[in-house]
Amino acid sequence: MHDRGRPEPRYPGYDVLTKRQGPSWNEQTRRVVSQRLAVPAEPRFFTPDEFRTVASVAARIVPQPDGRPPVPVAALIDEKLFRGASDGYRPEGMPREREAWRQGLQALDAEAKAAYGAAFHAIGAARQDGLLARMQSGDMTSPAWGRMSPQDFFKRRMARDVVLAYYAHPTAWSEIGWGGPASPRGYVRLDFDERDPWEAAEAGSGDAVEVRRINRHVG
Amino acid sequence: MTEFDTDRGSLNAGLAIAGLLAGSVLLLAAGRAPANGHRNGRAAALPPRRSSRKRPTVVAARRLNRAAGVLAASVLADSSVEHYRGSFKNKAMYTPLIVSASTLATSLHGTADARPAAHWFRDATYLTAAVSGLIGTGFHIYNVGKKVGGFSWQNFFYGAPIGAPMAILLSGLLGFCSERVRESRKGTRPEIFQLPAGRTMAAVIGAGLLGTSGEAGLLHFRGAFHNPFMLLPVTLPPLGAALLGRAALAGPGQQHRATRWWMRVLAAMGFAGVGLHAYGVSRNMGGWRNWSQNILNGPPLPAPPSFAGLALAGLAALELMEDHPDA
Amino acid sequence: MSDNPQHTPRARRGRAPDVFRPGGWVPMREYGEDETVDFAIVGTGAGGGTLACKLAEYGFSVVAFDAGPYFRPLEDFASDESEQTKLYWTDDRIVDGANPLQLGSNNSGKAVGGSTVHFAMVSLRFRPEWFKSRSLLGYGADWPLDWREMWNYYREVEQALKIAGPVNYPWGPPRPRYPYRAHPLNAAARVLAKGCEALGIGWTETPLATLSAPRGLAHPCVYRGFCVAGCSTNAKQSALVTWIPRALAAGAEIRDLAMVGRVEVDAAGRATGVHFHRDGTWHFQRARHVVVAGYAIETPRLLLNSTNGQFPDGLANSSGLVGENLMAQSNQAVWGLMDQEIRSYKGPPSLAITEHWNYEDKGKDFFGGYSYMSQGPLPQLWANTQMAARGLWGARLMSDMQNYNHVAGLKIVGEMLPQENNRVTLADEVDQFGLRIPRVTYSWCDNDKRLIAHALKFMTQALEEADARDIWTQEDDTCHLNGTARMGSDPARSVVNADCRSWDIPNLWICDGSVFPTVGGANPSLTIQAIACRTADRIRDLAGRGELDQPARRRYAAQTAQ
Repeated sequence: MHDRGRPEPRYPGYDVLTKRQGPSWNEQTRRVVSQRLAVPAEPRFFTPDEFRTVASVAARIVPQPDGRPPVPVAALIDEKLFRGASDGYRPEGMPREREAWRQGLQALDAEAKAAYGAAFHAIGAARQDGLLARMQSGDMTSPAWGRMSPQDFFKRRMARDVVLAYYAHPTAWSEIGWGGPASPRGYVRLDFDERDPWEAAEAGSGDAVEVRRINRHVG
Repeated sequence: MTEFDTDRGSLNAGLAIAGLLAGSVLLLAAGRAPANGHRNGRAAALPPRRSSRKRPTVVAARRLNRAAGVLAASVLADSSVEHYRGSFKNKAMYTPLIVSASTLATSLHGTADARPAAHWFRDATYLTAAVSGLIGTGFHIYNVGKKVGGFSWQNFFYGAPIGAPMAILLSGLLGFCSERVRESRKGTRPEIFQLPAGRTMAAVIGAGLLGTSGEAGLLHFRGAFHNPFMLLPVTLPPLGAALLGRAALAGPGQQHRATRWWMRVLAAMGFAGVGLHAYGVSRNMGGWRNWSQNILNGPPLPAPPSFAGLALAGLAALELMEDHPDA
Repeated sequence: MSDNPQHTPRARRGRAPDVFRPGGWVPMREYGEDETVDFAIVGTGAGGGTLACKLAEYGFSVVAFDAGPYFRPLEDFASDESEQTKLYWTDDRIVDGANPLQLGSNNSGKAVGGSTVHFAMVSLRFRPEWFKSRSLLGYGADWPLDWREMWNYYREVEQALKIAGPVNYPWGPPRPRYPYRAHPLNAAARVLAKGCEALGIGWTETPLATLSAPRGLAHPCVYRGFCVAGCSTNAKQSALVTWIPRALAAGAEIRDLAMVGRVEVDAAGRATGVHFHRDGTWHFQRARHVVVAGYAIETPRLLLNSTNGQFPDGLANSSGLVGENLMAQSNQAVWGLMDQEIRSYKGPPSLAITEHWNYEDKGKDFFGGYSYMSQGPLPQLWANTQMAARGLWGARLMSDMQNYNHVAGLKIVGEMLPQENNRVTLADEVDQFGLRIPRVTYSWCDNDKRLIAHALKFMTQALEEADARDIWTQEDDTCHLNGTARMGSDPARSVVNADCRSWDIPNLWICDGSVFPTVGGANPSLTIQAIACRTADRIRDLAGRGELDQPARRRYAAQTAQ
């Protein structure tokens, strides 16, 4: 897994929030997204140490480009846990969401210290990636895991929450050229290579200046 | 925040609809005097006009121009909206806009013109319209066929409408016929390709009514006839077609009162259809506030007046037959 | 907020929310707790909502309970995946077994209307032979129902939901025309069609419970693509906007935010009513009949949690089968990239379907069948699929997500065989009400695995034929849950009879997907509703003949003695 440099954005100039006041967004959606954009920067559920670890995990699972305000992934996860949201199920041996996170972060730090003599947030990116890959494949044995399987924690809790938090954010929506919220107005043009005027144009689908112009003016 | 792209679309749609309305009003206004003033018997009570104005073939020709114009206006508006929906992916999709716009202009000219002579430019425009209608039909058939699923209900419902380009063909044909009627010499039987003009047109218009009714039927079937009013354009026009057919076959000297009356009903239905479709648009999510979607996904506002265009042409044909019992 | 339906019940004081008008209300009849109603129904989804409507229309007094809120979709539903998880049943549950299930989203609902509020609207009839799969196809168990009778009830439900479907359905015996026409296909659906045509099998537009034309106050679909996050257009014909308003109009009472924790049974072995939690305390509603319609996990959970001295193993459980034979449906997928823009987020997710492998038995090395449909995952779901099923994270994930608008996928709804070891039991831990939480145990059998392998191979070919590239398979997913209280004609080998009446307790009924003896390769909602309609008709007929209080078991004994 290598970081590519700074590739040209796929949907240059597209910001889904441009559509916020238009007919694609209703009041309840504006309210929900506004709350999300105003998520507190400081943790309310995690301790500062835990929060730092979550942030370093998120930076490896959903690495973000420079040059734009980052999606506050750790803060979004903290908010969800603070609120007490639940998936509604957990594998045998895994505690509920909050305890699972606490226990998993502890175990991750224990693994980092055992392997590299330092906490997870303090080791280099490559080593962090290595640890996360081991967790994903279940190749971890610290007693700090208790009855929880590292694989389960990676797939069903940690990486899941990170990915869901990132892709709950309008910045991520813009990045992948998704149309975003759509009510009352939905879509008209559904077939191959069809785009409504209120959808993002892809780089290469026309003259670069024109694509940018279209994307700046989706409404 | 600007809404440039959306606005451009709305501009298209808005212009088209405004065009439709303006066109209809102009056509009605331009043709008003002769349409109201002519009628045997009653005409005598009105102030005298220049002889050419009273000449029945010219009156019929002007009426036919008006009818062709209503059809052209409907096509202009409808193809603007539908081809905008299709993002003008193919440059050829601008053709019906240009053709129907010039047909509309030509028909205005023809409606206002009281001279008893054909005009080469009108003829050329009308023929172009007819030919492009044929070519457009071919295009639409090709487009439906090449979609996955081919000639299936899905593609007939949602692909390029097979029947739509026929409207511009009809508009061109009516215009062309009007020129033939207009240029017929005083005292002779008005003819189109050596056939009696009135009866020929009645037959053509009847066929047009049937085709247009078929298209409305297909699309209203797509809408599951969820509103009983949706049955009107699949029941009233075929009856009108049958009446016109009877008129075309009938011998000279008949009044065709019922047929004439029925044509007026159809014309009213065509214009009222815009209102019903406007109501249909409002029934969609977000109503008129969500016009940028609902104008495209809701019932097409400009489609129903094509019935009015045909019905007006039917009236013109019937009255020509009255003035020229052998036509 | 003063009116938060998730915190304060809305259906009370003689009125219930009008789902068609923001802030609106409709009158609702109410029953006192001491008033013995004819039917207390637990659950208001495809089973309970339908039954509540039909029974109320037949003149019975009905109170239907739902643990979830009473939403007005037009004002309560946001266009947001995270926010709309409020439609899911997210109370604590434990999953185990060799293939632990994923719960909480595509197989659960907690709202008036149940999971039909966020279902994908796919409304399929079962293949007739499936009702006799043991006798005719050699696997599973026979249903005590006749497909021809079900064909009529399917018709009733399709009309009630104004299903939008193809003019001609390519498989199975003739069926009447769908009341509304099929929706336009999106590009993702056309990819499915291309693959099918290249491989020479049939495909069609999926019959969907979402409007393709206006209906009453409900708007037609606007193709916004948030179907599984709840429809804010009211195009989706969920129980919330179809059966429930009818039920209210016919005099039923709906109790929202009312969690039923226990069915009470008296010394004579008859149900007397239900204990439910609402407004912070427990209440008891008297009823002549109790219907449990909580779906395949909550139904057995409630029956198992309602033990007493007379029924130490749970209610209706003399066969020992309550909770057993849980059947998920396999939900594997094949995904690929197209050169064209697909933008599958537009329109209902599954606009095209092939049921070829439901109806074709040649060339299979497994029992059962599967259908597959086009897909339209929204960003969170898609990203999590990439992570969980494909193992992507880091730069790989981020760059792959860039291809979102070019992704096309095919996903099966596959038949899984009933196994007694796949089951719902009670864990020792308790939930917020002090009720023991369910433990859901699931393992695939060899037949399940062979079906999945067949499907993945076939769909890979189909995507290749449709010119997709970078094709990969998603192997670990399941959907709909059924079984756990199967119907049958033998009290020793089933929990309820064909009328959904418990063999053990004559006035206890079970009416939801739990009663399925097999699941077939088709989404179950239409069949659940058809069974509910049939059950209502049977109850009306039995009551008319004065046989409603006659135990099912006695009639079974009479039949077998003949």
